[in-house]
Amino acid sequence: MSEEYVIQMNGITKVYPNGVVANQDVEFNVRKGEIHALMGENGAGKSTLMKMLFGLEQPTSGEIKVNGEVVNLSSPTVAISKGIGMVHQHFMLVPSLTVAENMVLGMVPTTSGFLIDGKKAVEITEEYSKKFNLPVDANARVADIPVGMKQKVEILKALVRGAKILILDEPTAVLTTQETTELFHELKNLKNQGYTLIFISHKLNEIMEITDRMTILRGGRSMGVYNTSEVDEEKISRLMVGRDVVLTVEKEKAAPSDTVLKVRDLEYVNEWGKKMLNKVSFNVRKGEILGIAGVEGNGQKELVDMLFGFNTPNAGTIEVNGEQTLGMNQHQLRERHVSLVPEDRMLYGIAADGSIEENILSDRCADPRFNKGILFDMNAIHEESDRLIKDYTVLCKSRDQKVGMLSGGNIQKVVVAREFSNSPQLIIADQPTRGIDVGATEFIRKKLVELSRSGIAVLLVSADLNEVMELSDSLIIMCGGEISAYFEDTSELSDEMMGRYMLGIAHQTPEEIRRVCHE
Amino acid sequence: MNKKNSLKFTLIRGAAALGIALLVAFLLIIVSAQGNTFGAKMSNSFAALREMLISPMFRKNGSFSLKNFCDVLAGMIPILFTGLATCVMFSANQFNLGAEGGIMLGAFVTSLVAIYVKIPGPLLPIVAIAIGALSVGVMMLIPSVLKAKLGVSEMVNSLMLNYVVMYFINYLMNSYLADTSKGITQTYPYQSNALLPQMIDNGSRLSWGWAVGIVCVILVWLFMYRTRWGYSIRMAGINADFTKYSGMNTFLIIVLSQVIGGILAGMGGGIETLGRYTEYNWSSLPGYGWTGITVAILAGNNPAFVPLAAFFMSYLTKGCTLMATNAGVPAQLISIIQAVIFIFFAAKQFLSGYRQKLVVQSAQEEIAAAKAAEGGSN
Repeated sequence: MSEEYVIQMNGITKVYPNGVVANQDVEFNVRKGEIHALMGENGAGKSTLMKMLFGLEQPTSGEIKVNGEVVNLSSPTVAISKGIGMVHQHFMLVPSLTVAENMVLGMVPTTSGFLIDGKKAVEITEEYSKKFNLPVDANARVADIPVGMKQKVEILKALVRGAKILILDEPTAVLTTQETTELFHELKNLKNQGYTLIFISHKLNEIMEITDRMTILRGGRSMGVYNTSEVDEEKISRLMVGRDVVLTVEKEKAAPSDTVLKVRDLEYVNEWGKKMLNKVSFNVRKGEILGIAGVEGNGQKELVDMLFGFNTPNAGTIEVNGEQTLGMNQHQLRERHVSLVPEDRMLYGIAADGSIEENILSDRCADPRFNKGILFDMNAIHEESDRLIKDYTVLCKSRDQKVGMLSGGNIQKVVVAREFSNSPQLIIADQPTRGIDVGATEFIRKKLVELSRSGIAVLLVSADLNEVMELSDSLIIMCGGEISAYFEDTSELSDEMMGRYMLGIAHQTPEEIRRVCHE
Repeated sequence: MNKKNSLKFTLIRGAAALGIALLVAFLLIIVSAQGNTFGAKMSNSFAALREMLISPMFRKNGSFSLKNFCDVLAGMIPILFTGLATCVMFSANQFNLGAEGGIMLGAFVTSLVAIYVKIPGPLLPIVAIAIGALSVGVMMLIPSVLKAKLGVSEMVNSLMLNYVVMYFINYLMNSYLADTSKGITQTYPYQSNALLPQMIDNGSRLSWGWAVGIVCVILVWLFMYRTRWGYSIRMAGINADFTKYSGMNTFLIIVLSQVIGGILAGMGGGIETLGRYTEYNWSSLPGYGWTGITVAILAGNNPAFVPLAAFFMSYLTKGCTLMATNAGVPAQLISIIQAVIFIFFAAKQFLSGYRQKLVVQSAQEEIAAAKAAEGGSN
């Protein structure tokens, strides 16, 4: 039985130095010549497991066998020598070099010993490109080629290095529909040539389409191995998420009143001269949730940065409650009751080495409620943190526990506990539930709806389609730095329709879009 | 990692670093010990080690030596202040190394006031030290404002500033201020009412400045852990982006932490010079700033542990001095021991394998506890 497996990972446990248990006694076996899916939610431990297989991390305990032989994958170099290649989600290419130069990086062919043989590099690239039917332009600079081709270069790079087993980390996340179809065709081709593929994803339809078997991870543990033909989407989602119910948040119809946030004709050209925001205008009113949907990288990040004072636009205006806030710093914005749940919680949302209490205190440390003269009123501070820990059901040992030691969901609960509790009038929630567990996700979503119904204006930016459609009262879609559509009512929207606007296939008229300004 | 394991690791790591440092010291003592035979060398080495470790507290006959012990306490005074100064600056993640020049400038400016300004009674030392301290606070505006406004490295700036301060003082001393009737470069004597009173008058120069130092430890701890400014400084040290996002004033944090550090270092200089000397004669950097960095690192940037770390460093210094006079071992050894301790404490990966084991153990305990709780509820 065991000889048919090219990869066996037995009893793998990984504890990171910060105490996070990413994998717990995981079994992962891959047969030769199959496309094997590794599935699980964000934070389920997929990446950690694959990092160990590619030698980027070492397991705390457990053994890894390649072709039946126990190996110590101490670095990617060792993994590559065992025939394992990885195509990273974020491409590991040098943008300023050509495709051929990237291909031969680290194994450069030379003439007379020390001069780089550019011709040979191009030859090698074209040979492999033809052999595996992965068309690339060998002489083009990587910076100039489309995403889909970059991915082909990554795959070829692994193949040139002799990989027989390819790990593909969410390969479709950055691709358009057509590119995805093309990729699947190529992957099947590789499989027919005897290559083994490990496909990391959480997109159900793709898994059903392309894989033979799948291993499902949840909370760092293996939930079992299944033949793709024998399971349906419901069962997979149950195994991944741990329950049947699709999250639904009940909400009453919104009764929006006065405008809180007014954004007009925002334009921004980034430092490389790319136009990231083009004439973005919208209003967010009291008591409503306005969602911003869109494929990531279409200006959402830039927009949030402008709204919270991290960046200044080239043109346009931003008003909060009728007051011009452009050029204000975060302190001034917070004084005007603007709150932000940041996209990158580890970078902005928390001080990981600080206690829960210290993290809750950050935006209100100068508040007279928590100060007696020049000293802190420790009793009031303890009371506040204990209250918020209880109200937001933060799972922890005490308020003195370091935030960095908590799980992702509980870290995010600390962030929202702070952002939602200092009497906000406008909440900007940027990817509020990304990568956190179902329980915390449900809690945060409910809280957002509750707050909006109590008369707070909420701007929700999310790449999670379910989330924006579920929570938003009305919705705008961003594509290429512009608002491509506005929907006053989200209840009749379909995924397909949104997809068309998100990918720029469809575009509403300026008049239709202008309705979001409520003028 | 849970609290128990975390404490265990800190203690074992500290003990191991000290143990290794002392071992290295002992090896060096053996190498430099006098004696023709191996036996003589060994007995000399042990005599030297005894001088280093025991003599700062006890006489040869085993009785407590108040004089030596007071010397140790007096030796704490300057490094208490530079240690506190460094604590505050490092807590904000500002690697300002200017406590060295700071203590020199503080001592110098205090001296000028103590010599030339006519103020009656006990007010003179207070005013003199305050002006000395403030002058260093102003000096620290240079690296801190440059950092906050232009992003210039405060480390390079403050390091260079030490030498600017030193040569500037030397220039003033040599050109204008020196008492030319004396053989060495020194100022005219302080006014008699400027001198700090001694706590115990046994020639050990343990002035009341020591008590002021301990009061400052408490005040700095309160500032760092019980006020919004200290809190902001500590948070900025953990994650500067977080403080900005939270609406704290990052400019103020960068400048304030370094100005307070400067004031503390300057205060240390003033207290040291009025407590120990009768005139000013430092012509080179005194080294207390560097020791202060070691003190801050030993104390883990927590002011509460600064007295302990300062006591330890002062004890070692006194021990090495005694060793040098009584056992003929070079006093420079102290620098080597300091360096070794510094290396092991500052090395983040030192004993990291052991730490990882404790982390795994804690994690497994937690998992087991969670399982037990689950089993109980089902």
